[in-house]
Amino acid sequence: MPDFTLISAPPLAGYNSSFGDIKLSAPKDLAIVSIALPLGGEDAAKAAITSAFGIDLPDTVGTSSPTKDGTASLMRLGADQAFVVFTSATPDAERQIAAKLNGTAYTTDQTDAWCSLEISGPGARRALERICPIDLHPDAFAVGAVARTVMEHMGAIIARTGDDSFLLLSASSSAKSFLHAVELSARNVI
Amino acid sequence: MIINHPLLGPRDVAEFIYLGDACLIDRPDWEADDAAEAFHEYGYLRDNIAGPMQELWYHEQGDRSWLVVTRDTLTHEITNVEMARDVARARGRSK
Repeated sequence: MPDFTLISAPPLAGYNSSFGDIKLSAPKDLAIVSIALPLGGEDAAKAAITSAFGIDLPDTVGTSSPTKDGTASLMRLGADQAFVVFTSATPDAERQIAAKLNGTAYTTDQTDAWCSLEISGPGARRALERICPIDLHPDAFAVGAVARTVMEHMGAIIARTGDDSFLLLSASSSAKSFLHAVELSARNVI
Repeated sequence: MIINHPLLGPRDVAEFIYLGDACLIDRPDWEADDAAEAFHEYGYLRDNIAGPMQELWYHEQGDRSWLVVTRDTLTHEITNVEMARDVARARGRSK
């Protein structure tokens, strides 16, 4: 029987490029786990999140907070849904979060469903505003803001991680199309 | 067209999917004697409104919420946007 070995390879692994003052790269080992608050069990789930991460689940949909130890970010993406984004090289992201929440909320591993890109530099906003329908001015989209939207017909999540840096997530199945859209937009504003 | 999402603020209509008349929230009682007729009406019959109308929109490319949007079908003016879950609960639904 042939001996196959499967290799784990995130869709944009190792990508790193720059266009003028815009830097574009794929973060390594980014793990994503969704948390869904159970109907009627919202308060218990929120209390568990507070004790697990040392911070409250962000109240406002469209905001994120770093956890107390700074290793993860909690993104509030919907009334009943949040993403935990953190770095983990092992394929057990969901189990890590589920263990912390002790059955008070529904957790789903999203790591393999998304591709991620970090875009930074003084020109990052100039490149993004051509493909992202969200107002990215710092007054409207401050550091910590997060939005789920659509870029070039592809569903995407955008989070502002710094004054000039953003984390972009999109479907891993169309990772290369998404990368192409962002790359092209960056080239167009050099 | 811009829909002013109650939680997220103004979003482009391209992020949304249109379903139709918000009367779809009021699903008939399947145990009632006239259930067959009520479901025929629920499934197929709609008012053709020229003016303000309550509609269901789904924020698919966003937070995946259902909204009840009050829109004037003659002018496209949107006068009110609510979370569909709040509307349903206000009508006595538990979920």
